[in-house]
Parts: sequence; C-alpha cells; structure tokens
Amino acid sequence: PLPRTGDALRAFHTALRSSPVNSKSQALKEQAQGTMLKVLTSFKSSDIEQAVNSLDRNGVDLLMKYIYKGFEKPTENSSAILLQWHEKALAVGGLGSIVRVLTARKTV
Amino acid sequence: MAYHSFLLEPISCHAWNKDRTQIALCPNNHEVHIYRKDGAKWSKIHELKEHNGQVTGIDWAPESNRLVTCGTDRNAYVWTLKGNIWKPTLVILRINRAARCVKWSPKENKFAVGSGSRLISICYFEQENDWWVCKHIKKPIRSTVLSLDWHPNNVLLAAGSCDFKCRIFSAYIKEVEERPSPTPWGSKMPFGELMFESSSSCGWVHSICFSASGARVAWVSHDSTLCLADANKKMAVASLCTETLPLLAVTFITENSLVAAGHDCYPMLFTYEEGQGVLTFGGKLDVPKQSSQRGLTARERFQNLDKKASSDTANATLDTLHKNSIRHISVLAGGKANCSQFCTTGMDGGMSIWDVKVRHPHCLCPPRLR
Repeated sequence: PLPRTGDALRAFHTALRSSPVNSKSQALKEQAQGTMLKVLTSFKSSDIEQAVNSLDRNGVDLLMKYIYKGFEKPTENSSAILLQWHEKALAVGGLGSIVRVLTARKTV
Repeated sequence: MAYHSFLLEPISCHAWNKDRTQIALCPNNHEVHIYRKDGAKWSKIHELKEHNGQVTGIDWAPESNRLVTCGTDRNAYVWTLKGNIWKPTLVILRINRAARCVKWSPKENKFAVGSGSRLISICYFEQENDWWVCKHIKKPIRSTVLSLDWHPNNVLLAAGSCDFKCRIFSAYIKEVEERPSPTPWGSKMPFGELMFESSSSCGWVHSICFSASGARVAWVSHDSTLCLADANKKMAVASLCTETLPLLAVTFITENSLVAAGHDCYPMLFTYEEGQGVLTFGGKLDVPKQSSQRGLTARERFQNLDKKASSDTANATLDTLHKNSIRHISVLAGGKANCSQFCTTGMDGGMSIWDVKVRHPHCLCPPRLR
C-alpha cells in the first residue's frame, strides 16, 4: 500500500539529505540509489509537484541526478513515474539542472 | 537594439575600434575582415590575410589603434595601419598548441595570449631589438586557457581555463612599467605570482571579466554557473546555478550588474548584492518577436508528426534575435562601470547592438533594455 503523503515527503527529504555524494564507495552509492528510487516511485503523481517545490536549488540539482540515475537502471514501471518527476524538476531547475547532471564530478 | 547579419557562418571573434565606426571580425576562417559603418549599412574595407589557421582572438587597442590577432596556427600578429594598409608583425609566442584568446593590457604596452599549451604568453615590445618578446605564465594551469581579462592596474590578469578554474596572476613586466601599488588582491606582484584561484566549478571557464574597479572578477562555466569573487570580501566567491544552457560570454555593465549570454542565444542580466554576497538572475534581455498565430494545414501537421513526433502548433524556430549561440560580448559605450550599450556576436554570423537603460541610478534597481 502507498504510504501517506506526509511519510513519503519526509522519506524524500531524508533520502536527499543523506545522499552519499562525497563518498567513493560504489556500494554505498548503489544502496542510496535503490532507496531513492523506492521513495520516488512511492509518490502519488499529484504529490510530485509539491515535493519538488519544497526543494532549494541544490536540492533540485541533486534530485535531477537521481532521476537520471534511475533512467540508467530502469525497473518494471520506474521510467513512467521518473518521467513525471523529470517534468516537474525541469520546470523548476531548467535545462541548467540537466547540464549539471552531465558535468558533475561528484556523482550519486 | 539593432541586428546585422554579417555572415552565414559563425563569427569566431570580434573587436571594435575606439569610436565604434569599425568592427574587425573573423568569418570562421584564417582571415580578419574589417567593416566600416556607412549610415545604415556595413561595408567591408579590409581583409587581413596572414594567419595559417582559424583566428581565435582579436583585440583592438583604442589609443594606439593597433590590432592584435591570434590563431590556431600558434601565432599572434600585431597589426599597424600604415596609410590605408594594415601591416602585420609576427610575434613568436613559443607555444606548441593553438592560441585561443588575446587581450591588450589597459596601457596597450603588453598583450596576453591564452593557449592550448596550458600557459599564458605575456608579450611586450623590446625597444633595443625592435621586436616583440614574450614571457610565460605556466604554473599551476593544467589545461587550455579560454579567456583573459586585465585588471585596470595593467598588471593583474584574470584567466579562465578548461581545468575548471578562474585564476588571477601578476603579469608585471619590469621592462615596461613601474612596480604596481597594492590592490585588494594582494601587495606583492612578481611576474607569474598567483593572486587568486577559485575552487573548482565543474565546467570549462568560457569567459572571465574584471569589474571596472578591478575589485571583482566574474566568470561563466560550462556547468551552467556564474561566479563572482569579491576582493573586498576576502575574495569570497558567490555562485549561481542558472536554469539556462551554459553561458559563453560575460561582462560587467556596472560594478553590481553583469550581462551574460551563451547557448540560449539571448543576453541576460545578473545582479550582485554585496551585503549578502549573492548573485541573482535579473531577467532575459531579449524581446521575443510576435510569432504568427496562423493554424497549421493538415499537411503541415503530418510533417510535424513525421519529423518531430508532435503535432504541436507552437513555433519551432527561435524567437530570439540571435538564431544560434552567442559567443562574445563587448562593451560599446559607458565602460564596465556604466555601460549604456553592448554588442553580441554569435554562431549565426550576426552582430547585435543592445541599448541599456539604467532606470534609477540612485537605487538598487537593475538596469534593463530599452
């Protein structure tokens, strides 16, 4: 069953905050990617926009990195929901946020 | 604003003469063409042919009226107008890769060339030998130098590089000038001294610019960021992640405002708030043309579906003045302290002149376009 909106939002912020962006451990990063994907796919479509608007500029950039990571390793229905996240994140972060996914030295 | 389409090919680089009646540009080949304004049109009056590779940088010294050009042929030439002919003088840069950018110093007794050799050649004229010589600034540059800008004191030089960093060096040449007085960037300025180095952004630094006072330096990187270092705040760096495609050119238009442009094909305004040390986006400076609102025929709809997988009626062409990336910006009037007019050239072979109107000089409102 889908979690309540409040829980999903909290899980979302926690996952972003504890992102191992500075770590060199591939295992740690993969674990974080898995967690983030679970959180993103657990959202109701109608709640995505609110979640994106609750982020600052760095948060949007980080989210965009996870969205593209999610595209890299698609699961059963992940791409569909990730595309919805992408649309909302793009509206806030602009093409610049995608450019920074491509140029980032510290990956997620 | 006024737009003139010079070429069907990109304009590689450009420079204006002192009274802004002539523009020198490279039409994406080994030559430099000089055009003169004749009323409403532009007439080509000179073709400078000496380089064996694409001309990557041109600078026109306003007082001495000399041109300096640099190219992928690893050479630089200083051009002097004798009568009605531009005569070139070769300058040996001692580099083994393409030259990428060139700038006269404010006093026009030196010029700096950035290159793929991962160094900066500082060139000055040696009277005894009647010959341009150069000294190299190498450490700690790790990749191609893409852009340069001189501090008003004629000694400090800012350099943007493909190693993701903005640096300020001393280019003090004792043969041609007095020891410089201390600046907010430091007091000891022996040749080659590194006065400032930014922490890495994540992109090639395409363009760099000192403010009119020299106390601030701003740069744009390929990771779609704009940064500014303020010497009066202990060289603190303010950075802004933009929502746009990467910017390729930036200039100060007042001590607190900048105009930048790049792959989005339109110039945009940014302001720096000194107290908080914050950069903010101030808006797009291009007025979109009214796109025609006619409907599509069935045939056009099908063509759209076939080509773009979309039957969208939205105008697929750019509604900006420039139809391709803007590569260079130059200040035409007012200097970097109070710019009232600037110029952009780009990959669409066009040149546009933009008028800036400062709404309220005494308040912090950002300037905007007339």
